[in-house]
Amino acid sequence: MKAVAYRLIAVALIGAALTLATDVFFTPANLLNVLRQASLTFLIASGLTLTILTAGLDLSVGANVGLSACLAATVMKSTDSIALGAVAGLGFGVLVGVLNGLMITLLKLPPFIATYGMLWTLNGVTYWFMGGETIHGFSPGFRQLGSGYWLGVPVPIYVMAVFLVAGGIVTRYTTFGHEVYAIGANREAARLSGVPVRARLNLVYMLSGAMAGLAAIVYLARLNSAEADIGEPLTLPAIAAVLIGGTSLFGGSGSLTGTLIGALTLTLVVNGMNLLAVDANWQPLVTGVIVILSVWIDVITRQRAEAKA
Amino acid sequence: MSDVNGVTPLLEMRGISKSFPGVRALDDVSLTVRAGEVHFLLGQNGAGKSTLMRVLCGAHQPEAGEIRLDGEAVRLHSPADARRLGVAVIFQEFSLVPYLDVAQNVFLGRETGRRCMHAEARRLLQTLGVDIDTTTLVHELGIAQQQVVEIAKALSQNARILVMDEPTAALSDHEIDRLFTRIRALKADGVAIIYISHRLQEIAAIADRVTVLRDGKNVANLENPVNLEHLVHLMVGRRVETTYRQRFCERPGGVMLDVRDLASDTGVASASLTVRAGEVVGLAGLVGAGRTELARAIFGADRVTSGSVTVNGRILAGQAGQAGWAGRGSPVAAVRAGMGLVPENRKTEGLALNRSVEDNIVLAGLRRLFPKGWYFARAAATVAHDIVARLRIATPSIARPARLLSGGNQQKVVIGKWFTAGSRFFIFDEPTRGIDVGAKAEIYGVIETLVSEGAAVLMISSELPEMVAVCDRAYVMRDKRIVGELGRAELSEANILRLAMHHE
Amino acid sequence: MSSPPKGGHYRSTSVVSGFSRTVPGAAYLLAPLVVVFAIFGHGFATLPNLLNIGVQSSILLLLSLPMTLVIMTEGIDLSMGAVLSLCGVVMATLLTKEKGLAAGLLAALGVGTAFGVANGVLVVGLGLPPFVATLGTLGIAQGVALVLTGGQSVVGIGDTLPALYAREPLGVPFAIWSATAAFVVFRFALTRTRFVSYASAIGGNREALVLAGVPANLYHVAVYALGGFMAGAAALLLTGRISSGHPTAAIGMEFDAVAAVIVGGTSFERGKGSLGGTLVGVLTIGVLKNGLNLLDVSSSLQVASIGVLVVVALVIDSVLKR
Repeated sequence: MKAVAYRLIAVALIGAALTLATDVFFTPANLLNVLRQASLTFLIASGLTLTILTAGLDLSVGANVGLSACLAATVMKSTDSIALGAVAGLGFGVLVGVLNGLMITLLKLPPFIATYGMLWTLNGVTYWFMGGETIHGFSPGFRQLGSGYWLGVPVPIYVMAVFLVAGGIVTRYTTFGHEVYAIGANREAARLSGVPVRARLNLVYMLSGAMAGLAAIVYLARLNSAEADIGEPLTLPAIAAVLIGGTSLFGGSGSLTGTLIGALTLTLVVNGMNLLAVDANWQPLVTGVIVILSVWIDVITRQRAEAKA
Repeated sequence: MSDVNGVTPLLEMRGISKSFPGVRALDDVSLTVRAGEVHFLLGQNGAGKSTLMRVLCGAHQPEAGEIRLDGEAVRLHSPADARRLGVAVIFQEFSLVPYLDVAQNVFLGRETGRRCMHAEARRLLQTLGVDIDTTTLVHELGIAQQQVVEIAKALSQNARILVMDEPTAALSDHEIDRLFTRIRALKADGVAIIYISHRLQEIAAIADRVTVLRDGKNVANLENPVNLEHLVHLMVGRRVETTYRQRFCERPGGVMLDVRDLASDTGVASASLTVRAGEVVGLAGLVGAGRTELARAIFGADRVTSGSVTVNGRILAGQAGQAGWAGRGSPVAAVRAGMGLVPENRKTEGLALNRSVEDNIVLAGLRRLFPKGWYFARAAATVAHDIVARLRIATPSIARPARLLSGGNQQKVVIGKWFTAGSRFFIFDEPTRGIDVGAKAEIYGVIETLVSEGAAVLMISSELPEMVAVCDRAYVMRDKRIVGELGRAELSEANILRLAMHHE
Repeated sequence: MSSPPKGGHYRSTSVVSGFSRTVPGAAYLLAPLVVVFAIFGHGFATLPNLLNIGVQSSILLLLSLPMTLVIMTEGIDLSMGAVLSLCGVVMATLLTKEKGLAAGLLAALGVGTAFGVANGVLVVGLGLPPFVATLGTLGIAQGVALVLTGGQSVVGIGDTLPALYAREPLGVPFAIWSATAAFVVFRFALTRTRFVSYASAIGGNREALVLAGVPANLYHVAVYALGGFMAGAAALLLTGRISSGHPTAAIGMEFDAVAAVIVGGTSFERGKGSLGGTLVGVLTIGVLKNGLNLLDVSSSLQVASIGVLVVVALVIDSVLKR
């Protein structure tokens, strides 16, 4: 709880600084926009959080979103059915997750290598699949999902809220959630306590893929277009969001709330840079620095905890 | 400073003391080694042998005491210092790089020209009686050959004192003979060998003198030792202060665990045993006899390759009678059948140290407490509090990370975990190792209560008095097999040792 | 800590002897590919095409050689592609300002090495997991390149470098000469200085190295620094090839390098590695891409196929391990 509090304070501080720095920041339009963007990042990062909780990693989430979105868009255009497209995208996301899980549990590949290979494979397939084309122009009804408002609040925020609550329930109020934390904290001890480790890991990676698929649909609705490179800039911010949010790369600690706060923090920083007319090209750099700092804090926190024993 | 024979000993360690946070590893320990002798260093795990050797090789600095080589006081600030002065240590996990070749390993850090290294390495290996192609990658060599490479490495640094830690643990009888031949040759060259091993039968073969450590202190220093049982008592002997069991099991209940001809992929061969409700059955043997391997195979932590494990009539692994192959065993099945394992390494295998006491206690019982999959924090907390009270776990709150508890309390958390799971059959692997006296008594009390309520316990312990005082009967293992069973009347330290050490 | 290795029947490739002892396992992937493409690909087995494969693979080899060492230390360097792009941008910028090729090269090497050292410090000094640390520096390098160029190419680098790149001493393109020189240096000179052995030791049994009195941390950082240095060196070829500097020119090359290293038989544990194997791995990927090109397979599918190739190589590796 302390960790969450510190992070909220950091968010508040950044918000305060930005309010002072520019008039445009503290306006409803801008704030809602920040929340909308953070929600999108959160959706992608939520499944990823689960994999990191097990001391694993899913590097393929960004590429998964990209290909799932392109697939969904293609199906939507060809069949004129939003529902079918959404199912296709979601299903594909799940499929990728299952494949990742199998590579890790059956082939026993290290998670970062398995998902790294998957990332590039998906990338390549996406470019091939789209053949350099762009698909755009979806129905206004569908676009509401990404760009619309409901009761004055952007729709993605509701989606985010649903999954924040659902995710919170899963991690805190299900035995599955507790087993996930246990596996990350000490996989062998969990195994020797009767936790079906491989089954749980398969499920975790499947969920990561599923959330990527879901995020793809919302993203598609927001962008109103799909092309091969939409997934590329998504992976780094997703990982950054999880790490900033306090989830440890070494497994066993962290939360989805933290990931949301991390997404919020990152989005605020980017928003601030945009409002202050800082060249957008600085963003990867800032994200990279933030990632390194977050992991460093994680490493030091661990070392301190171990020294205390 | 000369010793009894008027000869200055090669090595003298005097009054060495060394503490780590929370534990005094060495307390005024001394060791004297002469040139050309094989000096056995005996003691249980945790007695201080490794720490003493690490002080000798410069990896640790002692808080008190001095070290003399050839009568001259020396300070060993680093492994480099020790090496320069002629001390070489061969650890049980070799210091070899798997994908470098023999010559590169022998000369690691001291490389010269390729041809020169290979020629010299070859020469060293030949003096050790072995002809290995020095361009072979080390990981391709068998364990015995790797050991020879390690010895060659030590010799190439002109070692005068060679420390060998469990050198025969993974060798065949034939390879052990050849090792002893080499050791005798080294002795003839004046090299002193400090030999750490649990295999007491080797003392007769090569030991000149023996030093016994226990709980970080010197216990004995013997010339030409012959009475092995006496040595074991020295290593282990703790006078039994209180009686451990109020009453032993007169009438055991039904068979809870039935193991037939069990073999596992860790080397256990054809083990058969039974445990009945209400009994505490011991699994005795020396280190390396295969007790933990057997326990793990029963629990499903290692793969069963043949035979069968049946708990309460339910086949968990292997094949029994006409039934089909039930699988290789898994902890999931074992836990569901009511088994619980309290492992030897509680910190790495029994607990998630960074998680709270509550989370650890509840983990094994998640399925039983919350069968539908919904976790209720209040129910979990109630269960955890209940178990903390029952087992008298000393912790200010159940939210405390398990890491911060004392050894005894950590062990209780592991046991508590199985209470939550509703286990009726418990496997305890060295349950009181590294635990203070008070907590030990409490754990014996827990075991007693468990079996009086109809549960059954299989207990592994290297402490013979504990085994005799706590168990109703015991199986004895040697070389990964069960070689005998001792009933209540026959259960004594002497009988256990006789079977464990192959005394005819 | 690694437990005492068991003797194995695994055919291995020694770091020291490379090709001369046994054929790297990767050759068993390469040979059938060559045969298939020779049969089905029009113009595959011609000298110009084979030289083309060499040229296309040259940059990859420069990156894959240090990547081999990094992976042998059980690490990874995801920043190589971004650093290479940045070095290319730096070099191109200096060339447009007519500072001379030497200055451009030195600057590229300097920038590359700086990032390499940064990676090393993050991994060894701070203890960050390598993929995260290098993911971070990837972002930083990428960011710097984008900011410097505003996302645009740097053009007008003059004729010196393109002319150099176009030269073909003895009929062999400059790029292939460079790659060969790099391989020779790595394979022989570095082996002589025990650099490669120590990289294997860091991954295989770091404690043994420390106990032997070797400054393992220093060598560990140096392995990453070398990666950055080679990225800077590769900038020479990259800038020469595309006659410009572009901030995202080499994005993704680190993946090809990792793939080449894995296909070449280097693994993520215990210090197993082979520079000769990496050479074969690089050629395998080059042949695969070239052959698929001739068969009119789109470049994006080629990327996907490399991903599949890596998984296949890893599966073979894990199966053989048992």
